[in-house]
Amino acid sequence: MDIYERFKTLNSRLIRGENIPFSEGIKGLSHPSGTNRDKPLAYPAIAIYAGQGASHSWLWFVDLFDRMGLYDLCFLTDTTLKENGLRGIDVLAMSGGDTFAIAEGLGKSGAREIERFIRSGGLYMGSCAGAYLPLNSSKPFLNLFNYVPAKITNLTRSLPTALRLKEKFCTSYGCSFIFHPVRETVELKTNGFAPFGKPKTLLAPLYGGPPMILSDPAAVLARYTGFTDHTLFLVDRKLAEETVLGTAAVIRKKMGAGHFHLYGPHFEHPRFPTANHLMAAAMYWDLRRGNPPCPRTDALQGDAFLSKKSAKHFIRAVKREISNARIVAAGLEMQPVQWTIGNKVYDPGKIRVFLEAIWSRLGVLEKAPRLCIQPGQDGATMRHTASLTSLVRATKRDSDQGRNTPDLARTLFSELSHSSMLFLDIYFRTQAYHFGGIHEA
Amino acid sequence: MEYLASDKIAIVDLGSGDITEEELDEDLVLEKIGGVGITQSLYDRFEGEDPIVLGSGLLTGSLVPGSALSVMTAKSPLTGKVSHVPVVLDAGIEFKYSGFDYMVIKGTAQKPVYLWVHDGIVDINDADEVWGKDVWAATDYIREFMGDDLIQVLGIGKAGESGSPLATTCINYWQGGDRLGFGTLFGQKMLKLIGLRGMGLLEIAEPEDFVEDCLALVSTIKSGPLKGKKGIAQMAVTLGGEDIEDWISPLIHRHMACFNTPIPTNSFVFLDEDPALLEESKVNEPGMLLTDIHPLITLKKMGLSAKDACQVLKECAKYGIDAAAVAELSEKAGTTALEDMVKSFPELKGPVDSAGTSIFSPWAMVGNQDRDTWERRQAVSYILGIHPLFALMTSELTEAKLLDLASLGTELELTQETLDEVVAEVSGKS
Repeated sequence: MDIYERFKTLNSRLIRGENIPFSEGIKGLSHPSGTNRDKPLAYPAIAIYAGQGASHSWLWFVDLFDRMGLYDLCFLTDTTLKENGLRGIDVLAMSGGDTFAIAEGLGKSGAREIERFIRSGGLYMGSCAGAYLPLNSSKPFLNLFNYVPAKITNLTRSLPTALRLKEKFCTSYGCSFIFHPVRETVELKTNGFAPFGKPKTLLAPLYGGPPMILSDPAAVLARYTGFTDHTLFLVDRKLAEETVLGTAAVIRKKMGAGHFHLYGPHFEHPRFPTANHLMAAAMYWDLRRGNPPCPRTDALQGDAFLSKKSAKHFIRAVKREISNARIVAAGLEMQPVQWTIGNKVYDPGKIRVFLEAIWSRLGVLEKAPRLCIQPGQDGATMRHTASLTSLVRATKRDSDQGRNTPDLARTLFSELSHSSMLFLDIYFRTQAYHFGGIHEA
Repeated sequence: MEYLASDKIAIVDLGSGDITEEELDEDLVLEKIGGVGITQSLYDRFEGEDPIVLGSGLLTGSLVPGSALSVMTAKSPLTGKVSHVPVVLDAGIEFKYSGFDYMVIKGTAQKPVYLWVHDGIVDINDADEVWGKDVWAATDYIREFMGDDLIQVLGIGKAGESGSPLATTCINYWQGGDRLGFGTLFGQKMLKLIGLRGMGLLEIAEPEDFVEDCLALVSTIKSGPLKGKKGIAQMAVTLGGEDIEDWISPLIHRHMACFNTPIPTNSFVFLDEDPALLEESKVNEPGMLLTDIHPLITLKKMGLSAKDACQVLKECAKYGIDAAAVAELSEKAGTTALEDMVKSFPELKGPVDSAGTSIFSPWAMVGNQDRDTWERRQAVSYILGIHPLFALMTSELTEAKLLDLASLGTELELTQETLDEVVAEVSGKS
């Protein structure tokens, strides 16, 4: 049984209300010591941020939680997060993207909501841009999120020469620059602190996440220790080593009754099971509560199901549009186009990441005995997925004719994110309802 | 059906607009194997509704060398027989990857429509924008509208729309292997075209052994008697047909293979561009793809220059009329001027010898081959999904080897006895 199946089995027991202590439920961590070893595990309610500034990488969190049977998920935008979106939530997963845009979107009230959430026992899991966000900063908007007194080593006033990927190499930061010395797979070593267990070496992908320095060594769960054959150097190797190696890659920091878990590399990336395992284990370690009932499955009422006929119509309509869109998107990938949205560069390959997130889950819904849905959610999803097809086609058509398409691309990526959230909400509602057989019993 | 299949059959009723789906039953595969074995049985099931049945072979779209073939089964308006035509180039495999193994098209639409088959979905769409367009313009329109140049189009031109008995179904811009008037059937059904695109995958039961065996087979074929052979003219000679290489070669720009076919059996000629050009041509329509040797041989005999002959073929492809029939009827009528031939398209009628007498399209009949051997090889190719011309040239591709690969790919026990039974059945000898 792989780690995902193990977590899924564990979660199927937790959702039924079984009382399982950490040391029994989370295997393969060399017995981490600490006060939470005997704490009963809980089936968490998780919110994934997918609002302003979030890149496609929030879908990696979706994959991770999906594979582990963590179906009590909801998706928050900057707007919904500020409107009490964190109520009833145990974990906020903040993905990669454009940190400045995330901070600006969330603003003062978003920062206040997040702070209240953590101080009351919530867990903030930030990856890449999500890790930068709560670090101390003097810049407007970012300074609303000064929660973790860590410094970053990739901040410079004099920008080094970029060896490649100039468009992804740096971001201006006032009079300075944040530069990214390497990309792709790097080597890390855990420090032996709970919840990561005994020291171990692992690999994880770095796509611009922070190399951090923190005065409290006990807060550092893992450090960058080396590069691999797959590491892509954007600057001279010596400078990359000086900037990255030995710095903190993962930080665990307490605030009030809750915690920050900040990951420079993408531990949630679907191709890195060891990193996935550690990230999930750390999440359970710092969950605020014992085994409560799953709020989403409790909330489902009879009027939240689609009839068989409507479900078939809904799935077919979504399938049609996602198929149409991914066919065009594949064609667009043949073209040498890129778009800059905010501080991030997007290439056409990112379109299909969103589309595949929907496409790969349609089969599960097709087989689901009942489709759980909020009133009107099916119509909205069908409308938005249909608009995806039109937008990708328009982008391709304009691109074929040599026209620039920044506005179309901006609208398209926003729509991709919105449609994915709508669809995935239905998917996870349905999965949560059927998971563990609690409603089939 | 778990392996080497999309596991779905679509039943499309153009009259009512209803589309239903069925699973591909493993027992049906064990009994009929695939390709024409199953299209024939689906045809029989829906016979009263004038169906056209599109289907892939069991090995279509796999790594087996030559696995490019899908087939269409319907009653030929030229021979009156329930017959089979090949769907080659990349259209055969695109059908399989589009999420269906078989598709029955029955009934007649009340107004022109086209089918858009993609990732397990069939859409019946209004064809107002394409009806009346020639084959090339219709293909351009669909690809631009749907946004992908890799869409494969099986469609008709004005010949099919106007009820010409010699109308052929073209593949994208080019004539395919339909010598049996299936384009006429499309027109009668008000079906302008079928657009195909799929991003699906095929599962293989024993992938490592399957891939290893396929690669070994490719290697054997490439080092055998076909080593170095390429292009439509050399294929004809290899099969004992007339040698037109010196005549056509000055126009040839490149050779093109159908999907996963180690020997390129098609040749692209430049008519409005220098054939020696190595960079991409700036000319909008620099030439055309030659897929059928027969009309070329006839037109050469009639004294046409290679360029004029290819020009005739180009006009035939745009109009969607069978070039072999046009060449034959023009020869009989003594029409040798290019313009006169093109002008005669709307009036041309059969009967034509070019339709042959077999239930298989005579497109792959080159040279004086033994009729029974040819029929047998066609049947096996059409059942398993192997390019029928390539199969004729490749003795290494034995029936035993193909059955081994089919069993390895599907985990089903497919025996020579079953194959013999299916061949006998589709050939009307059971």
